[in-house]
Amino acid sequence: MQLSEVIERLSLDVFAVAGEVDVAVTGGISSDLLSYVLSAAKPGDLWITIQHHENVVAVAQVAGLAAVVLADGRQPSDGTRERASAAGVALLGSSETMFEVGARLHGLLAGDR
Amino acid sequence: MSPRRIAHTAAEGGIDLIAIADHNTTAMVDVMAEAAAEVGLGYLYGIEMQTREEVHLLAFFDTAADCHGLGSAIDRLLPERPNRPEYFGDQVIVDLDEEIVDREPRLLINSLDLSFDDAVALVREHRGLPVPAHVDRAPYGLVAQLGFPPEGLAFELVEVTGGSLPGGFAPAAGVCFSDAHRPEEIGRRTTVFAIEEISTSELALAARRIGGRSVRCREQERRET
Repeated sequence: MQLSEVIERLSLDVFAVAGEVDVAVTGGISSDLLSYVLSAAKPGDLWITIQHHENVVAVAQVAGLAAVVLADGRQPSDGTRERASAAGVALLGSSETMFEVGARLHGLLAGDR
Repeated sequence: MSPRRIAHTAAEGGIDLIAIADHNTTAMVDVMAEAAAEVGLGYLYGIEMQTREEVHLLAFFDTAADCHGLGSAIDRLLPERPNRPEYFGDQVIVDLDEEIVDREPRLLINSLDLSFDDAVALVREHRGLPVPAHVDRAPYGLVAQLGFPPEGLAFELVEVTGGSLPGGFAPAAGVCFSDAHRPEEIGRRTTVFAIEEISTSELALAARRIGGRSVRCREQERRET
């Protein structure tokens, strides 16, 4: 499923977008441990986290993730937002918990197959 | 642990300089300073903060005033969740004679509502030396929580449990501290500083090996010989 459709279907806030929003979302990962995401994420994953340290942007970039969703209403700092814009990493937000966002994403991707 | 027992154990173990770094509180630093002075131990005021990202950050200060300044600044950032002594132990504040003078009612193992980067800045604002704790250990070490050191933050000293510094921290120097939570753990990891006097600025100079000063983990020294 394309990222633009995921954003629409999950009603995600957009804090920063990559130049090209319509990358394919092929899976998902939920974790607040950046070392775990670095080792376990697959390119194309949508990363759901409440971690909003600036390093999140670099990890998303290195791991080739489709986008990052800051769950539970977490707001990125200006620094994190600017870094995401500069790096071309889509930084999104949801007022729902990680559990809820993950469940809904899983439903979307399962229905897409 | 009783302040006098900590001081005596350290002195008997041949240690010259100690700091206590209680989790998210500076309540015990003055009593510990007295206990260290009684046995002629060098002492720095300290704290270990747990940031919003669940990263542990040590901070050391030359004066009680600066340490308490930092302590007051973070006090309101500790969540109001009460301690459960049956799980986490009694958070007593004692005097030199081990008389209980107060208790911290809030759960001190919680995370402060403060980002790691802001915590580092806050320590510097209070003239302290920030030292990321056990960066090579999971959980609560910087690498496990944040993947790698945040860009734009430079440290003089970085504490490592395993003795060697993970990538990305250079030119910081690695140090080894005991992280003792029980008396028998005091001195289990130590660092050799060649410095002119006990102060945080001397530790920073030692990190940069200025004027013949130096720093190295004692464990590494043992391995080499």
